[in-house]
Amino acid sequence: MKRFFQQFYLLLLFLFLYAPIFTLMLFSFNADKSRVIWHGFTLDWYAELFRDSTIIHSLYVTLIVAFASALLSTLLGTVAALGIHCMRRRTKGVYLTVNSIPMSTSDTIMGVTFMLLFAMLMLEKGYLTLILAHTTFSVPYVVLNVMPKLRQLDKNAYEAALDLGATPSQALQKVILPEIMPGIVTGAIMAFTLSVDDFVVSYFTAGTTSQPLSVVIYSMTRRRISPKINALSTLLFLAVLILLVIINFRQSRDESHKNAQKPKYQPLKGVEN
Amino acid sequence: MKKYMAYPYGVWMLIFIIAPILLVVYYAFTDKSGALTLGNFTSMLSYTSIFGRSFLLAFAATVVCLLLGYPLAYIMSKQPPRWQNFYMMLIMLPMWMNFLLRTYAWMSILENNGFINQFLQNIGVIRLLNTLLRPEAPIEYLPLINTGGAVVLGMVYNFLPFMVLPIYNVLIKIDKKLIEAAQDLGAPSGAVFRKVIFPLSMPGVIAGITMVFVPAVSTFVISKTLGGGKEMLIGDLIDLQFMGNAYNPQLGSAIALVMMALVFLCMLIMNRFDDGSGEEGGLLL
Amino acid sequence: MEKKCLIELKCIEKEFDGEQVLKGISLSIRNREFVTLLGPSGCGKTTTLRIIGGFESPTSGDVLFEGRRLNDIPPYKREINTVFQRYALFPHLDVAENIAFGLRLRKLGEQEIQTKVRTMLELVGLRGFERRKVTSLSGGQQQRVAIARALVMQPRVLLLDEPLGALDLKLRKDMQLELKKIQQSTGITFIYVTHDQEEALTMSDTVVVMNHGIIQQIGSPTDIYNEPVNAFVADFIGESNILDGVMVRDELVRFCGRSFECVDKGFGEQTPVDVVIRPEDIKLTFPGDALLQGVVESIVFKGVHYEMMIRTEHFTFMVHSTLAEPVGKTVGLSVVPFHIHIMHKTEAAQ
Repeated sequence: MKRFFQQFYLLLLFLFLYAPIFTLMLFSFNADKSRVIWHGFTLDWYAELFRDSTIIHSLYVTLIVAFASALLSTLLGTVAALGIHCMRRRTKGVYLTVNSIPMSTSDTIMGVTFMLLFAMLMLEKGYLTLILAHTTFSVPYVVLNVMPKLRQLDKNAYEAALDLGATPSQALQKVILPEIMPGIVTGAIMAFTLSVDDFVVSYFTAGTTSQPLSVVIYSMTRRRISPKINALSTLLFLAVLILLVIINFRQSRDESHKNAQKPKYQPLKGVEN
Repeated sequence: MKKYMAYPYGVWMLIFIIAPILLVVYYAFTDKSGALTLGNFTSMLSYTSIFGRSFLLAFAATVVCLLLGYPLAYIMSKQPPRWQNFYMMLIMLPMWMNFLLRTYAWMSILENNGFINQFLQNIGVIRLLNTLLRPEAPIEYLPLINTGGAVVLGMVYNFLPFMVLPIYNVLIKIDKKLIEAAQDLGAPSGAVFRKVIFPLSMPGVIAGITMVFVPAVSTFVISKTLGGGKEMLIGDLIDLQFMGNAYNPQLGSAIALVMMALVFLCMLIMNRFDDGSGEEGGLLL
Repeated sequence: MEKKCLIELKCIEKEFDGEQVLKGISLSIRNREFVTLLGPSGCGKTTTLRIIGGFESPTSGDVLFEGRRLNDIPPYKREINTVFQRYALFPHLDVAENIAFGLRLRKLGEQEIQTKVRTMLELVGLRGFERRKVTSLSGGQQQRVAIARALVMQPRVLLLDEPLGALDLKLRKDMQLELKKIQQSTGITFIYVTHDQEEALTMSDTVVVMNHGIIQQIGSPTDIYNEPVNAFVADFIGESNILDGVMVRDELVRFCGRSFECVDKGFGEQTPVDVVIRPEDIKLTFPGDALLQGVVESIVFKGVHYEMMIRTEHFTFMVHSTLAEPVGKTVGLSVVPFHIHIMHKTEAAQ
């Protein structure tokens, strides 16, 4: 009985989470402009979506910015995490506190502060400002994903590599990096999705010719909403779904690896962070 | 592996995190000519009601998120591991879709001729309401969109995962032996929850509250799309000063600064409940 | 047979955050020697080892390797390898690749690497484990891989940092013998860190007892056990009864209100000293046959012997005996002069 209620509760909440998305997707196939009344099946909106150069360009902007900022923040964050890991308690604390500021500041405030900064630096809003801003709010997540992996590392692993004749850079490449790779990959994926998902910061830092998808959608929702957006949502949802399935597959493969190694002592766990 | 490897990011943080905050402080205390002034703060007094409404709506959304999210996280943590992964994915999936699209989805549901109203008309609830309550001024729909309720709904919908994930992450890490120990010491399941599980999950709850409240109190998208601009929030006010017609970054900075201070204060009070168990926190997804 | 000095530490001092961990360590280690640094945790033994390995640099003082100054040579250029405390095996590599790690960095041919890895696995008794994941091995097996990984580099010196600390008692005893055998057959100088005095006495040619960053005593296991230079060493090496005493004159010491003959001299007259008596050196007699009488307070069976606490007027002695005496019985305690050890009172022993 208790179990039934629990399942029922889960069902209700997932319905709450997904019903809007599914209606959105359903009406991307609607033969009429109506977002409410079904008029029959069509793929016209998809065709129109791909003919809309504004949307296609904005998709391009979004992807460029997401790739660039994910790459940059992964590099910056991983190297930073390695450095922070070696720091004394005090400096480490300072770094991690400042690092956590972007995560606990609202997007609106962050967007505004970037806007002021770029105005002062006289940087024209465009790709560069977008990438700088997105990198800044992504790095903390990379750092926080890499740090636990470093902490799990045998504290002598790096020294053991040196001891066996590896130069510091060889030790990093051959021992440290392979060990913390899962954290780096998760961090990179998070950086990428944070960038794709972002609207508010982009809104304050995008130029007129470099509007990412979310900014374009925003300006559309303020005027007349076309079912093109539904079509776009459907495609994005599918893209994210595929991405997630791949990640999950990767994770569960890692997990089964670990379980295979320590069958007796390793209790089954949920999600590995 | 040396600590100087963190220096590039240190410089980055100085330029892109510390400097912008200092800029906001500078702008907040100066006027358009650059002279020191407190005028920005005094002129904010007329917006007290907006501040009040923002905090009230964000507070409501946070409470709803907690009430919905805690049981969800708890039930999820009790599922078989294989299913837990699946549920986690289900929770994260909408979060990874664009924030605007998620909000947009609710527009078509809540609109005057949206799904809910269509549905209510079709099953005759609207007619029933008209005959029962207001025979003299019949309505065609229930006013759902452009209300404070719609804004709270939008916040809950968008930020619920931020509440569930940290709580869930803390719950699954609770040592099962502690629960067995509590049972061993004679605690019935209700007491086990109240005296062991819930207190231990507090760090997750605090993180969840922070992660919902902070974006909720400063959003302007949700209030614009689902609140119809009628329910102006701090976020809208700031947006207006920077991107809107009222262009006044000095006032905008002052508002932002005050909001940051208020949020910081709220978090400080919240964190008194936390035992401050270090850097891990619940923030990590 | 004169063995030449391989490693020399000269007045090594080391500070961490203003705290002095090593206070002038001077030590010379001969080729093919098995040296153990022994002491309680925090005594500076691991820091000393890390300085030899090159993972820390001394605040002052020199490390010499065959007379050459080694201070600024990074670890990867030293002919020294280390077996780390918790092994520090690389979990992303299998057993064979862990052992081959250093050889690959030396860019040896694949054939040669495989041969060396196989020989090493044979030496440590892990034949057929090549492709196993290191995380799937037991503690003892991981230990062997760590040793193989370091030995395959054919170092001049092998540093071992409490390598057996994580193993259970039985396995530890086996590994002690095995390590000693490996050391003798390879002729590599071993510098071994442990806090286990029994381990130190079993394996070493030379034991270096340390406390508070100072070397207390250097000597062969027999010397250290039989002739501890101060109360700290006496107490740390095996169990001891340590009493306050006064050296009346040469070969006569007074404690517990009685005067005893002893064999030590040169302490001067009426000098306060520490008197150390091993529990197994006290013989229980009839009360009338000894200078000291006491009452048995407790008795515990320890396997080989009984451990009794016997209260006399001034001091409660620990006595090891193969014969049990009932609690409450009054007995006499006698010690032959040879077994009364007299030591200078030292600051470090407090």
